[in-house]
Amino acid sequence: MEFDLENPLTSFKEHQSDTMPALFASESDHMPSLSFFRSHISFRRQAISLILQAQYSCNFDPFIPYLAVNYMDRFISTQEMPQGKPWIVRLVVIACLSLSSKMKNTHFSLSDFQREEGFIFDAQTIQRMEILVLTALKWRMRSITPFSFLHFFVSLFELKDPPLMRALKDRATDIIFKAHHEIKLVEFKPSIIAASALLSACHELFPLQFTSFNNAISSCEYVNKERLLSCFGVMEEMVVMDGNESMFDGASSAKTPVSVLDRDRHCSNLESETTTTTNNTVGVTAEKRDVKRRKMNGFCSGNTFQLSQIQHC
Amino acid sequence: MDKYEKLEKVGEGTYGKVYKAKDKTSGQLVALKKTRLEMDEEGVPPTALREVSLLQMLSQCLYVVRLLCVEHVDKNGKPLLYLVFEYLDTDLKKFIDSHRKGPNPRPLPTPLLQSFLYQLCKGVAHCHSHGVLHRDLKPQNLLVDNDRGILKIADLGLGRAFTVPLKSYTHEIVTLWYRAPEVLLGSTHYSTGVDMWSVGCIFAEMVRRQALFPGDSEFQQLLHIFRLLGTPTEKQWPGVSSLRDWHVYPQWEPQNLARAVPSLGPDGVDLLSKMLKYDPAERISAKAALDHPYFDSLDKSQF
Repeated sequence: MEFDLENPLTSFKEHQSDTMPALFASESDHMPSLSFFRSHISFRRQAISLILQAQYSCNFDPFIPYLAVNYMDRFISTQEMPQGKPWIVRLVVIACLSLSSKMKNTHFSLSDFQREEGFIFDAQTIQRMEILVLTALKWRMRSITPFSFLHFFVSLFELKDPPLMRALKDRATDIIFKAHHEIKLVEFKPSIIAASALLSACHELFPLQFTSFNNAISSCEYVNKERLLSCFGVMEEMVVMDGNESMFDGASSAKTPVSVLDRDRHCSNLESETTTTTNNTVGVTAEKRDVKRRKMNGFCSGNTFQLSQIQHC
Repeated sequence: MDKYEKLEKVGEGTYGKVYKAKDKTSGQLVALKKTRLEMDEEGVPPTALREVSLLQMLSQCLYVVRLLCVEHVDKNGKPLLYLVFEYLDTDLKKFIDSHRKGPNPRPLPTPLLQSFLYQLCKGVAHCHSHGVLHRDLKPQNLLVDNDRGILKIADLGLGRAFTVPLKSYTHEIVTLWYRAPEVLLGSTHYSTGVDMWSVGCIFAEMVRRQALFPGDSEFQQLLHIFRLLGTPTEKQWPGVSSLRDWHVYPQWEPQNLARAVPSLGPDGVDLLSKMLKYDPAERISAKAALDHPYFDSLDKSQF
């Protein structure tokens, strides 16, 4: 009984159409409440950079940090978070990563993670933090995320050729991973994020199909058109920025050895590699990944300036 | 846990003891289930986490007992988890008993029977659409809110979730009387049909006010079934004779099912016969059952 983010209700294929209304109806229960953002922006930024660091050093399935960010967002949106206590950020991050890796049935080695961090929390403290998070989230740990809606929206796509649908979904998945760290997108429902990411991917990969796909998604009864439009706008901006990284590099003062967006590119490469490893022969990809990891660790370590900048990654 | 005042022990659930308790501040009655899920150095056990969060999701349905919250207590430094459920004062077993014996024995009124069965199918359909088998449906596990005429599925235990492809399960799960023949015959790859068989047995029991197949051993249980429905054949149920615990049984001819449920009309008998199909693949699904003509006279807008 794995938790699959693309199918959080663990339903059979033939039941999936029955559970769509339930997904749309309860997605808001899995979103952070918005009031927290003004007070928690810097907490969130620090937490995300720690989570990404863990992703690189522990070589996680990208869904694990994704889920951890979802838990962390929902948790901090219910709490007053004490300011100026960096250890609290770390403790929350450790608890969220521990919970998300348990949900994905993956072993998360706290000691490995903590060694790199320089902060050591004992098991009891972490356990208490886990319970605090679980209680605040009401044990709703099977988060409904944008990934839960991909299959449904892709089925509205006109071209039914499996490789094309696969390409569309893969690109949208990349965009969703990036979008999670974009603070302007936190206010949008998971279904709207999924629809926008697919539209954005379609725009990029199959521009000729864009209009009909857009019409199909916009006329879906569960989709609020205005919200979709404004989400799509923010997302396109994000994707364009991402695409123009070299330009951006030149324009910004960029004397930093590795720019934020360059890092971002590595980040997505790493994600796609980790996902393909399962299908490929382990030898080659694992080797490639090791090289990448060393690079990652290279610019993860020590450079606090960079770490505080990576909220877009 | 100081929030709650334990009133009495009301039973043994799949997890362990169940207590009736009162929320001291709100006065709300709750059912407290102490779990055997103890925490270790790794914190909250991963299985507990996944199963409880699944339970939490399932209990959003009106026809599944609501999980109100999860409490943890430190017992001699060992944290324990308690599941806090809404409390309902009776269950379908007690309800049927009260119509069979006592001062005023009487059949269950047909509209109520239809309504209970419909709610049961709704709840089961909900579980199945979320990829969860109950595997131990029985009248004791169906709680009844007498005043509102609501029936809710309880005791969805841990380790019940399944994903595609179906894995093997141990077969010691369902209480004998409601146990599907494929489970009794040692099938290890069973699916939603096991719950529908139980629903059929419960349906018949509501009509008869006594159990349809009250076997006291696995073998006797099979004989009870075969005597009424006939000994299954390869034609009816392809693969039956290759099941692990299949033996050569006396050859019984199927009896008229209507005679086992004399007060049930033809639509009801038809639905019951579809729930009690031998071949699990032919057995009606919970979702399809909701559309059966037996429920035509029921006002479905109330559900």
